Amino acid sequence: MIKKNNWIKIGSVALAVTVAILVAASAYASGGQGGSLSHEKLMDLLWRTMNFIGLVIILVFFLKKPIGNSLSSRRQAIREKFEDLDAQKAGAEQLYKEYEAKLAKIDDEIKSIIEAAVKQGEVEKQRIIADAERAAGDIKRQSEMAIQYELSEAKYRLRSDIAEQAAAMAEQMIKKNLQEADQNKLVEDYLAKVGAIQ
Amino acid sequence: MKNTVLAKRYAKALFAVGKEEGSLEELSRNLAEVAAAIATTPELIDALVNPVYPVEVREKVMDYVIKSMKASQVMANFLNLLVQKKRANVLADIAEVFQVMVDDDNNICRGKVVSATELSSSLNDKVKAMLEKITGRQVILKNEVDPSIIGGLIAKVGDLVLDGSIKTQLTGLKESIKGSE
Repeated sequence: MIKKNNWIKIGSVALAVTVAILVAASAYASGGQGGSLSHEKLMDLLWRTMNFIGLVIILVFFLKKPIGNSLSSRRQAIREKFEDLDAQKAGAEQLYKEYEAKLAKIDDEIKSIIEAAVKQGEVEKQRIIADAERAAGDIKRQSEMAIQYELSEAKYRLRSDIAEQAAAMAEQMIKKNLQEADQNKLVEDYLAKVGAIQ
Repeated sequence: MKNTVLAKRYAKALFAVGKEEGSLEELSRNLAEVAAAIATTPELIDALVNPVYPVEVREKVMDYVIKSMKASQVMANFLNLLVQKKRANVLADIAEVFQVMVDDDNNICRGKVVSATELSSSLNDKVKAMLEKITGRQVILKNEVDPSIIGGLIAKVGDLVLDGSIKTQLTGLKESIKGSE
């Protein structure tokens, strides 16, 4: 049906062009001796025009189908391409939504991981602080003990020095002042003391 | 090195014989002489115990010792027995143990008094009397002078020690100062 309509259109156009040329040629020829185109020339133009129209009709008759097929397949290919692109676009959009959802989840996961890490860090911080405080307490206690030990050692050394010097001084004084009578008295006193104990 | 067990065994045997014959004092004196000779003459003990010399030679040496100190027959037999049994090396220990046995038998104990200066005889008597009172036995004292004790005395009789020296008192004072807080 469409084919028939097309041919009717082509035939109408060719007829219209031919009539127009004939009308134009007759009008020009009725213009008298003063016109520049002769009757022969007009007929030649008419002939050429008809030739051309015939050529066009032949070309259309023979080339319409392959060109139409070609254009049709091209149109189909483009349509399919569009459909593919639409499908790809839909897929991409779907993928985008999925990734967006994943990203949203990832944000949550990151947030929870960060929170867990912060919580763990806080626990670790408390533990480290407790350890440090305990170590500091130990060091303090050890230092105090070391100080006490050094102090008692120093006291003992001082007392020892004092005792040694006191004994040495006492020995010198006794040796210097001890007489024979004192020696005898010492022995007698000691014997009396032992005797008293007995 | 002292061989007390062996010395006690020989001393006990000699003590029994001496007690029976009533010659403990003489035997004790003889043994002390031999022990002193051995202590002052190391060659003598070498000649008596060195296995390089034959037994006959060692017996002859002992015979000479016996004759020189005019020992009794019991003592001569005892000394010869020691040479034959190769126990002459414990002679000094035997003399020491024998002396203690004789002293015990006579209710005597021996001691030492150390003083910074020489003690007068009256003080010596007082010390002796005090020690006899404490031990309940007759005490024979040997005096020794040691200026390092500074003053006072140190008396030792058996296990009993009486230390009244200035040196010890100063040491005690020193320790009490060191120990006081």
